[in-house]
Amino acid sequence: MPKQSPIPDELDKPFYDACNAERLVAQYCTSCRRYQFPPRPRCIRCGKDTAVEWRPLSGRGRIISRVVVYDTPTSSLIPGQPFNVAAIALDDEPEIIMLSHLPGTPVDQVPVGAAVEVIFETTPATGQKVPEWRVIA
Amino acid sequence: MPHPVVPREWFRNKEGLGLWEGRGKVVATGVGTSPTARRWDEKPETSMGALTILAIRKAIADAGIAPEEIDGLVLTPESTTGISKDPNTPPPPGWEKHFKMASFPQAGITRGDIDWLLLNMPELKNVKFMMNGPICMSVSFVAAAEAVARGLTKTCLVARGWHNLAGRYYVGVGASALNTASGRFKYSSIWGLPACGTTAMVFEEYCRKYGKSHDQMANFVVTSRRNGLMNPDGYYSQHRPEMITVEDYLTARWIAKPANIYDNDLPIMAALAVVFTTPERARDHKQKPVYILSHGQTRPESMGVVPTLEQWERSTDRMGRILYEGAGVGPDDLDFENMYDGFTLFHQFHLEGLRYAARGEKRGYALDLYETDISIEGPNPVSPSGGNNGNGRTRWWNHRDSILQLQGRSPSQIRKKAEIGVSGAPMPDSCDALIWSAKPPV
Amino acid sequence: MAFLISFDIDGTMEFGDPPGGVTVEMVRRAKELGFIVGSCSDRFPSWQKQVWDSHGIPVDFWVAKHMLPDVKARFQAERYVHIGDRDIDRQLAEQVGFHFWWDYEAVAEPWLAWLAWLDDQR
Ligand SMILES: [Zn+2]
Repeated sequence: MPKQSPIPDELDKPFYDACNAERLVAQYCTSCRRYQFPPRPRCIRCGKDTAVEWRPLSGRGRIISRVVVYDTPTSSLIPGQPFNVAAIALDDEPEIIMLSHLPGTPVDQVPVGAAVEVIFETTPATGQKVPEWRVIA
Repeated sequence: MPHPVVPREWFRNKEGLGLWEGRGKVVATGVGTSPTARRWDEKPETSMGALTILAIRKAIADAGIAPEEIDGLVLTPESTTGISKDPNTPPPPGWEKHFKMASFPQAGITRGDIDWLLLNMPELKNVKFMMNGPICMSVSFVAAAEAVARGLTKTCLVARGWHNLAGRYYVGVGASALNTASGRFKYSSIWGLPACGTTAMVFEEYCRKYGKSHDQMANFVVTSRRNGLMNPDGYYSQHRPEMITVEDYLTARWIAKPANIYDNDLPIMAALAVVFTTPERARDHKQKPVYILSHGQTRPESMGVVPTLEQWERSTDRMGRILYEGAGVGPDDLDFENMYDGFTLFHQFHLEGLRYAARGEKRGYALDLYETDISIEGPNPVSPSGGNNGNGRTRWWNHRDSILQLQGRSPSQIRKKAEIGVSGAPMPDSCDALIWSAKPPV
Repeated sequence: MAFLISFDIDGTMEFGDPPGGVTVEMVRRAKELGFIVGSCSDRFPSWQKQVWDSHGIPVDFWVAKHMLPDVKARFQAERYVHIGDRDIDRQLAEQVGFHFWWDYEAVAEPWLAWLAWLDDQR
């Protein structure tokens, strides 16, 4: 599905650069020993900005929930309706949730609880890659 | 002139604070509600600002006091959750003939503004305490409660207006029509979730965990609309008095399955004002005083791009504990609950956090409760105001109704005696709530 | 041989919210000329029926917006068209093989031209 191309900013450029190199990274607070996503200027737990660095993630996760979208506000996705959106909890930090269209999984047949692995999808407008997820057979 | 926002230290956002110091020192009396409309017709006299002025005048008259007695004003300036006009867009022609202009060009149109209100309400001569309660009127109620309890104002207005401009609210307009995405929502928006999508996702997780189904929501939705249609001030009673049936709900079109179209609330034009004062002054007010026993606040943990069931349960549990600790009451003392419902699918998180009508259960019982008698006639009234779902989107019908219930004059008055109730809004992990009482604390 | 026209209400019909350009008179005319007509809207079906009754138009169907497949199954017609004002109207129509006209196209009553086509067939 033709997703909108996210425009990186100063804060999340490392994340999107890594996506273009097909690597998944997230901010990690060395003081709290904890990942966070979406990116923020400082650790949301301890408030330190100096302790936050970018670290690679395993790219593995688990589907914890899902919806089927029938009426999206996003114009470019309308022709693909209805479509799955799944919530992915990362193995490295299960409270970090990322979203996925689960390419390859039929509509309304999302295997909640299943293991998934990251893939990278190119968005048409700018060529920016974004993380997507597919069910591990 | 920028006015202060509520100081952070006024909020009760952690446990262990004990009874609220303001308990018994502040009451609500007069209530004023504007007429409603679906969209603004661009006439000055039906603008959000005009509706707010009307609501304030009605609240003052309802309290039976002179406008000169008002010495405080707390306002929630945001008047939509959707797309607004550019703040610098000039007002439509003829506007300046109706209203004095404040420095902010969209004041009274797409944003509430204390200076604009005071300029256009010359009868409010003695307002000295002014404060903004951002985002939700729940915040303004807390601000006014603290301000009165702290002696910063004796008779304080709390107000919020809502506008809805012509055109579609979000769909296919603005950022969602572009082929790129910027700003802090880009981590989720490119997947195309509608506004109800996040709630639907957590609701789905809830149903899976506790073995519940979306169909179990039907009685809640139908009962809420019934309650709302009893309210002559509500949008539906004024403009769409048709009743929803269980079949309408169960066969409705999905927006983001498991959220259907009737799980979503309708944006409207409306304004509410309420008078807060001290119990001493309230003796001279026309309406029975309603005491505020406590208030509480939660804010998101902001871990992922969408919240999880665990986070929402943790957050609403904490709200329950904070509120009860501050008020010195417990779940069994509640005669009704008016927690937020816009979207319908998250109301039960609030309800369960409060352990409302629980029979020993902690979590996962609300959808079964919904299938029992939750009407205003029954033993466990759920959302007697009808909320957004029964009246249109304001995030304040619930608070208004808590006050009216405890004064014994709600249009959807519960049949059992109403002595203590609760209301709060909006989200399960981002909420300000108050416990209200017909009697002073003992 | 019959033609079926489905009207969305909000943003399409003059009594919709927001009001659209298609008038009650256009629907009445279509019904009188023998078209199968009805509404397919996000409003409660029971309310849709009441509104048509209040205008004295004996419509053939009044259903929720996603029920076009059901309408198609119930009525045998040469052509099916849905009229609406949103992308979702268009999508739901085209997914079940309905022709689609936007509300602003429909104000010209383009379905009347089908009668001429019918005459040619004869
Ligand atoms: Zn930290």
